[in-house]
Amino acid sequence: MNDPSKMKHDCSNQKECLQLLQAILDGEATQAQKEHFMKEHLDSCMPCYQNYHLEVAIRDLLKKKCTREAPQELIESIKKQIQQNLRA
Amino acid sequence: MEEEIIKNNYTDAQKSRIFDQEFMPHINAMYNFAYRLTLDRDDAKDLLQDTYLKAYRFIDSFQEGTNAKAWLFRILKNSFINDYRKKSKEPAKVDYQEVETYYNSEDVDRQITPDLRVESLSNMIGDEISNALNALDVDFRTVIILCDLEGFKYEEMAKILDIPIGTVRSRLHRARNLLKEKLSEYAKSMGYKTA
Repeated sequence: MNDPSKMKHDCSNQKECLQLLQAILDGEATQAQKEHFMKEHLDSCMPCYQNYHLEVAIRDLLKKKCTREAPQELIESIKKQIQQNLRA
Repeated sequence: MEEEIIKNNYTDAQKSRIFDQEFMPHINAMYNFAYRLTLDRDDAKDLLQDTYLKAYRFIDSFQEGTNAKAWLFRILKNSFINDYRKKSKEPAKVDYQEVETYYNSEDVDRQITPDLRVESLSNMIGDEISNALNALDVDFRTVIILCDLEGFKYEEMAKILDIPIGTVRSRLHRARNLLKEKLSEYAKSMGYKTA
């Protein structure tokens, strides 16, 4: 657990940090970037710590709320058309 | 596609197997993509059907062992642009360059919604996030779907969308800022309601 009283409340690189943080969550950052940011920066910087958790929460919510399954009859209809194509 | 296309000559049995084992497993993700692009159930059905028939017709240019999902998403995206975007109910297409320039300006970054909190997200148990996503311009919506919902890498997204990887990165960053803006609007209105 972080001690909030020891964290800084302003980040001088917030824009760059947000970009880096997103790259990390997207699996697009290098191991060195990841280690530096996650181990050294995140625990000491409140805005980045909050941003990190916000980004994670948004992704979770997107995955939970923004997917839908194809209607079964549509799947059947596509399969059928392909089978007809194969026989033709 | 810029890469050299190697044409295979699959037998009917091979085609059938590729279709069932490589293409069909992505049908739910593909339907969701079609729905999020068209924002209309009937159009989504038509777009999905067209895409799968096209995939079958061009199956000889699919290389087994390569990323079938990315290949399918690219066909769907192209079909959408060519066949649906024209007739869709969306207002006249926003000029790309203009949008990109606008969102690259300092203004947007300055308004990084400091008021949006994890706690307000946990109150969004309805369609808020879905509505927020749907309200984004289609190009911004697309990158969020590809990255956050489908887990494509930036390089795969660049190929699917035919844009440079740097554009993927910046568009994604803008898209997320815009999504957060929408979400904080919802959070605010929810706050007013409960106050």
